[in-house]
Amino acid sequence: MATPDIETPATAAGTRAGTGTVFTRFIGLATIVGMVALGVFGLLLSPADVQQSDSVRILYIHVGTVWVAYVAFAFTALASAAYLWKRTTSLAWDRFAGASAEIGVLFMALTLLAGSLWGRLSWGKFWVWDARVTSTAFMFVTYVGYLAVRGLGGSHHQRARRSAVVALLAVLEIPLVHFSVKLWRGLHQDSSVADRTNVNLHGLMLFSLFISVIAFTLLYVWLMMHRQRVLAMQDAIDNTGLDYALQQRRDEGDL
Amino acid sequence: MDLSPRPASEAAAPKARNRRKMLSIGLLLFVLLAGILVVSKFLTQSLDYYCNVDEVGHKDGCEAGRRLRIQGVVDKGSITTDNGVTTFNLTFNKVTVPVVYDSGEPGGLFQQCIPVVVHGVMKSGTFEGDDVEVKHSNEYDEKNKTRVATADAEAAACSQSK
Repeated sequence: MATPDIETPATAAGTRAGTGTVFTRFIGLATIVGMVALGVFGLLLSPADVQQSDSVRILYIHVGTVWVAYVAFAFTALASAAYLWKRTTSLAWDRFAGASAEIGVLFMALTLLAGSLWGRLSWGKFWVWDARVTSTAFMFVTYVGYLAVRGLGGSHHQRARRSAVVALLAVLEIPLVHFSVKLWRGLHQDSSVADRTNVNLHGLMLFSLFISVIAFTLLYVWLMMHRQRVLAMQDAIDNTGLDYALQQRRDEGDL
Repeated sequence: MDLSPRPASEAAAPKARNRRKMLSIGLLLFVLLAGILVVSKFLTQSLDYYCNVDEVGHKDGCEAGRRLRIQGVVDKGSITTDNGVTTFNLTFNKVTVPVVYDSGEPGGLFQQCIPVVVHGVMKSGTFEGDDVEVKHSNEYDEKNKTRVATADAEAAACSQSK
């Protein structure tokens, strides 16, 4: 099996294989700066809420992480479409899709966790089965399923094709989750900033939320670069492993 | 064993394959659309988390005899606690229902002038609740900007949904 589209950084003999580049280091640094800023604004500079007191600060984790989850799942769908568009072109798109979905699942878990803690403080319950919470849990499970489909085995292109179809279907859940608070009566509040004309958010709270979205997006990009390269290396190992096995059989034949 | 490539014997094969492909894509689209229709119909008609206080006994699924979740704003000054039993009035759209809640302290942000959902049963005009969830708004503002502003905000919240 040929390995035409495997690019692993630092594969030259003798060098230490890694996934870092100048660009990822720059993004990593920016992420650290963003997270520190988020801590300062979220915990110190932004005020406590008139009704929720300090528990409102969970907002800066809850919204930032779910934003990343949405972006990650949308990018998974985009990369999957790109893979299917010209099937023979590149498995790189498939690895982008896979890496993005993994990060999305991670951040969706964080969203659920932060939301659950916030729910305990404001609703009085860790968990309720209202439309927003239920649809979010459903989406989380769907993408865990997507990752399972990726692991079913077969060739890399089989994996890519199967999972691309799942990704294109699963992405339809994003509008379902996002608009669930408008479509149905639930316990979860409506969004405060997205698709609204009147934003009822104190200035510094809004700014902290803005920093949260920036910082988490940077973290997503950083994780994405590294993870996608790790996946490329894994594919390369699969391929060279097969080549090695084939070579051994051929050698046996030569005897 | 003959491993030589077979000649393309059926000229119609690619065409048939194409048709089958179009058919399966069409089927997939149909299933998708039907699925969206069914799911959205099903969901819009059965997934509401609560009945508003004024809908009890009037709306489908909000019959007074069954177990309900009702939503309204806790009336100002109506909360009394006695021996672990909390009573308060719940109002929505000018309809008020007295609530008796006897499962301990209501959690979360429970207070007057805040929208809550109570789980329970309607019994002779009184709602006997065993679960309270607080439904907070999507509006956030600074705490203690001034005492007056806070009081104003609270009063506005209390009169909003009546």
